[in-house]
Amino acid sequence: MQGAKSSLGIILFPAFDWSISPTHPEREERLLYTQDQLKEEGLFDIEGVDEHKPGVATREDVERAHFCFPEVEAVATRSHMVAAGGTITAADLVMTGRHKRAFALVRPPGHHAMKVVQGSRGFCNINIEAVMIEHLREKYGVKKIAVVDTDCHHGDGTQDIYWHDPDVLFISLHQDGRTLYPGTGFPADCGGPGALGRTVNIPLPPGTGDEGYLMVMERIVLPILKDFAPEIVVNSAGQDNHFTDPITNMNLTAQGYARMTELLKPDLAVLEGGYAIQGALPYVNLGIALSLAGLDYSGVREPAYDAVKHRQRPQLAEYIERLCDTIPNVYFHPPAEPQDGFVTTTDAGDWFVRHKNIYYDTDDITEAQTEELYLCGACRGLLKIVSRTTKNPACLGIEIPLHACDACRSLGYSLYEEAQVKEGYRYAQFINRRDKEYLRHGF
Amino acid sequence: MYLGIDVGGTHTDAVALNEAGVAAQVKVKTDQTDLLASVNQALRGILETVKPEGVRQLNLSTTLSTNAIVQGTTEDVGMLVIPGPGISADEFMLCRDYHVLDGTIDHRGSETDRLDERQAQAAIKACRAAGVRVFGCVGKFSTRNPLHENTMRQLLGADSDYVTLGHELGGRLNFPRRIATAYFNCAVWRVFNDFATAVEKSLAELGLGHVRVNTLKADGGTFPLAQARRMPVQSIFSGPAASVMGIIALCDITRDSVILDIGGTTTDIAVFVDGQPLVENDGINIGSHPTLVRALKVRSIGIGGDSAINVLGEAVRVGPTRLGPSLADSIPAGAGLPVNARPTLIDALNCTGACVHGNVDASRRGVAEFATLHSIEPGMLAEQAVAAAAEAIYKATQELLAEINDKPVYTIHELLEGRRVAPGRVYLMGGPAKAMQESVRQRFELFTVVPEHFGVANAIGAALTRNTASLELFADTEKGVMFIPALRHRENVPRTYTLADAERDAMNHMLAHLSEMGVFADRDNAQITHASSFNMVDEGRTTGRNIRVKCQIKPGVAFTLNGQPPVQPASRTTGQSLRRATGQPAGPPTGKTGGRG
Repeated sequence: MQGAKSSLGIILFPAFDWSISPTHPEREERLLYTQDQLKEEGLFDIEGVDEHKPGVATREDVERAHFCFPEVEAVATRSHMVAAGGTITAADLVMTGRHKRAFALVRPPGHHAMKVVQGSRGFCNINIEAVMIEHLREKYGVKKIAVVDTDCHHGDGTQDIYWHDPDVLFISLHQDGRTLYPGTGFPADCGGPGALGRTVNIPLPPGTGDEGYLMVMERIVLPILKDFAPEIVVNSAGQDNHFTDPITNMNLTAQGYARMTELLKPDLAVLEGGYAIQGALPYVNLGIALSLAGLDYSGVREPAYDAVKHRQRPQLAEYIERLCDTIPNVYFHPPAEPQDGFVTTTDAGDWFVRHKNIYYDTDDITEAQTEELYLCGACRGLLKIVSRTTKNPACLGIEIPLHACDACRSLGYSLYEEAQVKEGYRYAQFINRRDKEYLRHGF
Repeated sequence: MYLGIDVGGTHTDAVALNEAGVAAQVKVKTDQTDLLASVNQALRGILETVKPEGVRQLNLSTTLSTNAIVQGTTEDVGMLVIPGPGISADEFMLCRDYHVLDGTIDHRGSETDRLDERQAQAAIKACRAAGVRVFGCVGKFSTRNPLHENTMRQLLGADSDYVTLGHELGGRLNFPRRIATAYFNCAVWRVFNDFATAVEKSLAELGLGHVRVNTLKADGGTFPLAQARRMPVQSIFSGPAASVMGIIALCDITRDSVILDIGGTTTDIAVFVDGQPLVENDGINIGSHPTLVRALKVRSIGIGGDSAINVLGEAVRVGPTRLGPSLADSIPAGAGLPVNARPTLIDALNCTGACVHGNVDASRRGVAEFATLHSIEPGMLAEQAVAAAAEAIYKATQELLAEINDKPVYTIHELLEGRRVAPGRVYLMGGPAKAMQESVRQRFELFTVVPEHFGVANAIGAALTRNTASLELFADTEKGVMFIPALRHRENVPRTYTLADAERDAMNHMLAHLSEMGVFADRDNAQITHASSFNMVDEGRTTGRNIRVKCQIKPGVAFTLNGQPPVQPASRTTGQSLRRATGQPAGPPTGKTGGRG
């Protein structure tokens, strides 16, 4: 057997003792057949391909990415901490030079988890990519990172976390929000005032197959990545675009996934969704792993594959071509003003304000949120979020960003102190990334 | 009386013992070109002391299969592989007559593509035309459904000498390893069977025809010779296991420990958890090919008594090269040193006073010359060499422990509650064991033990090792099937079949199989090592359970010699004194039947 051309570390953590509920798609059995397939193929005997045990994320690892109300332990189970820890292990494997690439085959997934976490939405509690990215920044000082989310569902959580971050480029390929959960992710949604064009949404029509996905990769994703020139490329490798997936309507094959991975060349891949656990995941994961390792994947073929039946309809190519003509403008020529908020002026200065209503479908919680970003010319700006849900009364989150200026830093402290004095909030969480200070109040 | 013979690379060790202790022991030089002669010589040596009728059992550890592979004296094998989709099977081509056939079994054991029988017939014909007489048939996921492999056996019919089917090698998943294991099993089949027949004939001639013969495996167990004739690949690399089992027989190990078998060329490192030797997760490599052959987890490093001392810059190192025997062993008393004589670890130990072995004067002079050459004070060179050896052994042990503790696990419970292995003792054996004890103790900062008889622990281990067996059971209640690949047992089970049923069936089938082979296995030594059951759900409804169970007879010894009187008077008559004079532990015992050349 030939050795891997790009050495690959795989963190395979199927969490065989955890499920959302016994018959939920996110259950114990989900990665069972994938594990069987990878073992039977002898993947881990290939020189340069190694299996690693995941670490366990700490509260601080999570708090770098999220405001958790009432607290991290209340919204994240041990399985979430292990899945997040798995992505951190993956990042460490690559950053320490142990492997060229790493693939975190962990569950549960995370890309629907937003900046504020009050419960589970879209089977996600903790955004495991965000935890990984913040670890990359905190521990290794990585500056520019691109996340390409190829899950069939819009990665609305990752989008929300990096909405105001010009150093994290977020590109999501997904089934059009008009036809699938979570119903968002349109090209007009392209980032906050300081990061316009750093969120790129590519909604694809139901029925899109290998041809369409590869066209989008070549004509939209790769040119943007080339221009952005990130230090690290992360792939949120959801596998629910597969033609057998029970909850989506796409036509991607294992070959298509492998080819897409070959084009994208991600440094780090993280498993997201994908619930065709027998007919798709074993083959898709094998294809992705071989492709990441630079090995021949041409023999990977799912038994249910039918070249005629699973071909993309010709009409779709035209539609997707039109997307390829227009969407790159989102990045290369973003609008001058953000569309989804307004600016208010206070004594302290100008704030960009967004109101959001968020539904946590898995936990049936409704959240009303007001997000305010201090429009600071010197740094990314202080972030303040007030969140109310059907479960918790008003909660406050204040974040002093990495590399914050002195003004934002002192403004953050004074707002937090003020909030404690007035006691208007049930819970308040204070995150100071600049000085690595994480405070909580009201618990 | 139990007999153990360990045919090693250099020496063949034999012992005869019972609960009262070692009755006889013999060490002869191994004749690599005629292992049978070495076995016979060892047996005759034992029979000088022990009466044939008193012997009940002979356990044999041989390098026969390994040698055949290394020397290329194996026979051509026709490999017929059925890979289905995935990594190209051309990658695993390890012999000339290698044919890839169409057909697919998936991970659940469903046939998703029929076996192409015409293609198979053509492949068989091609093999036969090339003169091939033994065949390996291996399908991907044949451990879930052996349909294609069984069809291949039918197609091969009676006109072949031996056929290995992949699933008979056990239920573990790993198609490339299954291919390699089936291949090697076929490749050494004839040479092993010829040897087994010859050994049985010799035994009959020596009056030992009634003796039950077992063969050692690398997993710290034995299996009956009749079984070994079918699965000779399992007899490969049993040497390190014999030594590890020897330690169990000599010491009462109950907790996490490190075992160091320091030989002439290498040191074998093994780890015990709760007094049990650890088994390798996957299997050993034969040549560059990973296989499914279960083995004790043993790490070998190139540090031994005969490892040469090097000086690189300021650093003194030992090994991994071996430049022949030590000066202490190779220079006759009073003789001069050759030009550029290279001292070894044993010579260094002779200089530090850790041992008094062979020609100590030659060691002193050799170390002094070598030290002068590198402008180091001789005493310091010797000390640093010994310390370097201890350091290398320590480092390799730490790496092995890290690997054990970082082994992937698949449940949150194991990940968060799993216990870490933390050895509290070091057991040393092999020639230089006693001499290295103090430096190992200092480096490991642990309690060290050198058991008595440490020089022949391997043969004692061979003699006392019990039978082991392991099997995997796979059940799918949606399909209504239960399958134990290793036993070729497949039966229908009801939808109500549970994990508890599966555990019971796995145990019962394993014990029944052993008793069919005439082996008594104590149920107390049988254990379930893995049991899992997954609900299979389709469209929100539970459709069945996917059950996997593994069980084994754990490795162990028939009885321990701990606290037994070391030597029975009878053995002294053969000159095989086990109690060596203090200060002379490094050399093997010499007797009239053998000794160092």
